[in-house]
Amino acid sequence: MRAFASMVRVTMRQVVGGRRWIVLGLLALLPAVVMWFASIDPSPPGAFERYNDVPLPTLLLLVVPIVTLVIGSGALGDERRDGTLSFLLLRPIRRSTIAAAKLTAAWLAASLIAGSAGFLASFVLAVRADTWITLAPTLVAVLLATAGYTAVFMVLGHVTSRAVLIGLVYVFVWESGISFAAPSLANVSLSRIGLTAYVGMLPETASALGEPLGALAPGAGGALAKALGIALVCILVGAFLLKRMDATSE
Amino acid sequence: MTTSPAVVTGATVEVREASKWFGQKVAVSDVTCSFGPGLSGLLGPNGAGKTTLLRMICGLLSPSDGSVSVLGSDPRRDHRVYRRVALVPEEDAVYGFLTARGFVSYAADLSGVSRSGVERAIQTVDLAAAADRPIAGFSKGMRQRAKVAAALVTDPDLLILDEPLNGTDPVQRAHLIDTFRRLGAAGKTLIVSSHVLAEVERMADRVIAIVDGRLAAAGSVLAIRQAMADIPYRIRIDSDDPRTIAANLVATECVTSVAVAGNTLHVETSDLPDLGRRVPQVAKDLGVRLTAFEPEDESLESVFRYLVRRRT
Repeated sequence: MRAFASMVRVTMRQVVGGRRWIVLGLLALLPAVVMWFASIDPSPPGAFERYNDVPLPTLLLLVVPIVTLVIGSGALGDERRDGTLSFLLLRPIRRSTIAAAKLTAAWLAASLIAGSAGFLASFVLAVRADTWITLAPTLVAVLLATAGYTAVFMVLGHVTSRAVLIGLVYVFVWESGISFAAPSLANVSLSRIGLTAYVGMLPETASALGEPLGALAPGAGGALAKALGIALVCILVGAFLLKRMDATSE
Repeated sequence: MTTSPAVVTGATVEVREASKWFGQKVAVSDVTCSFGPGLSGLLGPNGAGKTTLLRMICGLLSPSDGSVSVLGSDPRRDHRVYRRVALVPEEDAVYGFLTARGFVSYAADLSGVSRSGVERAIQTVDLAAAADRPIAGFSKGMRQRAKVAAALVTDPDLLILDEPLNGTDPVQRAHLIDTFRRLGAAGKTLIVSSHVLAEVERMADRVIAIVDGRLAAAGSVLAIRQAMADIPYRIRIDSDDPRTIAANLVATECVTSVAVAGNTLHVETSDLPDLGRRVPQVAKDLGVRLTAFEPEDESLESVFRYLVRRRT
């Protein structure tokens, strides 16, 4: 347990170190800024609907994927790049413990940044429209989407040094493009994990956001199960790769 | 049955017919050797395959062929063996944002050992004064010592050091060499790789030499040298009249060549004991004063040069 806690603590400092913290922090302001400008116009639809139209997609389709891509791919990728992977592997620790600690740390760090983005966007909505109704659904959506994305990007970061590039292609081509163009593919979209949780916790908006969900049933329970399932699979895959792959530094 | 000098009894580490290739490049080829308690040197030029062999021993690389056993286990399959193994890698494998104390404590946490050994490990490498500074601001030598401290904190039975003295100044180097020798004398198994031959010569009781990924020689420096009977010994003789001595020695059967440079006579001989008896006698008979009679090639530098030349 001490090894796990130490790994989480050090990894959190590692993945948000240097300029990353500043760049990702600025990115986290984007949904709030968008919400501010979106709510200036007093004509219909109202600020609540506008939140669902622009700031929420900005959060779930841009901020969460990019934050998790940078942080998740660095969780194991930075160790490989910096040559410190051997420092972890030559320890009497299960490989699955290493993968789980890395994912936990990356998820916590990414959630802190993306969660702040969600909070700020909801805060702007509260200031402009006097309602906090989106706060809890947004935070739950961010936490669950972050878990799914971080897990996948952690594995990606371990297997290739071009994880950020590949991840960006995945985010913009698949998540924001193909999976929205074909609603039947919603089931294999990570961003929908957050959306289903959000819609499930905020039934009033279900009709407005129903289309992107395709055949998915709104609900935080299903989203939680899916996020946990993806995290578990990625931990097992990460552990397998740590055990089988040669630990060569780049 | 003959026993290879590359193999020792009571081995901690056994490498059997191990090969490693990366695509078309063969990094290690069919190496069989073993390491027991004490300090062993792994010698070879840059790119010889030392690091690859050490990483196979650690379990960081899987052999493409053959096998590696560490403390009776396959390190790729049984991670519990890492309770007793530590590596000081060649590269800067440190977390720059941690302090030296934080880095060594992290190593203790990951290995499941008490943090009570952290201070001792830091003091052993003489890093106490800088222990609370971030490693990012350390010199190369200080980083090396931080890595050594992180390895020592677990009190390993097997300590693998890949070019551990890189970047250290002469005082630090002497201190680390002394530390390694003490650990070896205490019954720990230490494998130290280096391409700086004088370092290995100062540290190691036993040497495994690798050239082009293959085992080139094994044993003590002297034993390796004596095993290469086909290569003459080079002896340096300083005197006040080297030409007279050269004229007398050149006719003898044991001398294969002579060369004079100033007051120094360089002699190549196939029979060192015979030359050792003959030279003082010749000098005495001719009234020449000898000031030096030294083998030029018992240093690892010359042994290594021979090995490389022999392979090429």
